[in-house]
Amino acid sequence: MKTPGLTKLRGSVKVTVRGGHIEAFVNELARERIEVWNLKSIGPNRLEMEVVISDYYRLRPLLKKTSCRVHVDQREGLPFFWNQVFKRKWFIAGFVLFFLMIYGFSSMVWDIEVKGNVKIPTEDILLAAKEEGIYPFQWISRLPEQDKLSKDLTRKLSGTSWVGVSKTGTKVTIEVVEAAQPKNTELQSPRSLVSKTDAVVTHIFAERGQPEVSKNDRVTKGSVLISGIQGEQAVVAKGDVRGLVWHEYTIEAPLVRKQKVYTGEKKEKGYLYFGSTAIQIWGYGKVSYEQSQTLTQMDPLTWRNWKLPIGWMSEDVMEVTELETKQSVEQTVIRGLERAKLDILAKNGADAQIVQQKILHEKTDNGKVYMKVLFEVEQNIAEELPIVHHQGE
Amino acid sequence: MSRFTRKLRKWSVDILDLPQDLVFDLPRLTMVGNKQLLIENHRGVLHFSPDQLRLALPEGSLTVAGSRLVIKAIMPEEILIEGDIAAIQYLGTGEKR
Repeated sequence: MKTPGLTKLRGSVKVTVRGGHIEAFVNELARERIEVWNLKSIGPNRLEMEVVISDYYRLRPLLKKTSCRVHVDQREGLPFFWNQVFKRKWFIAGFVLFFLMIYGFSSMVWDIEVKGNVKIPTEDILLAAKEEGIYPFQWISRLPEQDKLSKDLTRKLSGTSWVGVSKTGTKVTIEVVEAAQPKNTELQSPRSLVSKTDAVVTHIFAERGQPEVSKNDRVTKGSVLISGIQGEQAVVAKGDVRGLVWHEYTIEAPLVRKQKVYTGEKKEKGYLYFGSTAIQIWGYGKVSYEQSQTLTQMDPLTWRNWKLPIGWMSEDVMEVTELETKQSVEQTVIRGLERAKLDILAKNGADAQIVQQKILHEKTDNGKVYMKVLFEVEQNIAEELPIVHHQGE
Repeated sequence: MSRFTRKLRKWSVDILDLPQDLVFDLPRLTMVGNKQLLIENHRGVLHFSPDQLRLALPEGSLTVAGSRLVIKAIMPEEILIEGDIAAIQYLGTGEKR
């Protein structure tokens, strides 16, 4: 029975009573059953005590009766706290608003990501998603069920075999698996296949069209191999015609082979660069090498996946000398032939096959080997020639 | 109280072994060490200062002396005092027969 219950909740005040008859006042308090506690006498006719707010107003008649005066020293408890809070109501309102905004913004869709589409434009997918209710600033709680969304989107987007919708936080990810569609064949105009060089046919296979030559036939450049006119109709001739073709090469190969070799000497230079401007930091001084190669390496500052236009550039200037190796005539010939063969393959397709090679003439002069070689190559000889309809004059 | 009723009450208290405070309207003091004192059946405060508290009793008065005396709670018939209590003295409660 020290202090009445819940004084903190009801609010209490500490008051000083002075004047008149303090003892009489205390007796009156007891008679009126006013709850007071911690009565302390502080000097003659001065009394300090605590009282609940609701009882404070009941003190007045007693004070009058005993001719005392009261002064409030201290207020404590919830009602006074609320008063103080109310004084700063805009601050509190801001505080509440902040939490409401955090909550509100985090329950919105902010970002929609579309993944896995190759042929279908992202805009089309986003448009379809918008119709289904997925768009930025939509409330997450208003999104339909994910499997329903995925089903509806799959139906709506033609050319997809599956659409998955997943949500992480405020981000919605739409994953698209496109249906594999048969390749559209190119439309081709009617054509014939003609020979591109003089050759002897070794193999002919007409997939479409009328074969005009047979194996071992000699053909000249421009002669029709597979005709595109079948019956009265023009068709797209298609087929595989191979023939033996002779290629004559004049090869010129030096006996001395020059190679560039690093000597191991190098000079390092360091630059700081900003955009396209670079400032050299070290490696000043003249480069004394007669011949050199420079290796440049850029090392930009990165943040996450972005390369910033600021960074470090290092340059290595490496000394190079030319190394000359002498080769025998045989080696030079082999090297020359190799080069010619590579050239043939590059010009006539990788399926060209060298059947025979004949060195017709060979001469060593001025440190170079000159030779004339005849290659017999089996290769594709067909070339397309469109059929042009001559309309009446 | 007339002499007769007082005698009758004294007799009944002796015979029935009743607590005297109920029958004779005496104060009941409950003291915890020298720190706390609960006085029931008092008749109001006569004097209150940090080192002395005088209470009116149904008969006479009671003086509590000490230092830093605080009335923790007060009710019409009850008073709880805390502080360093040094002495309790009864005044004017001579037995009347």
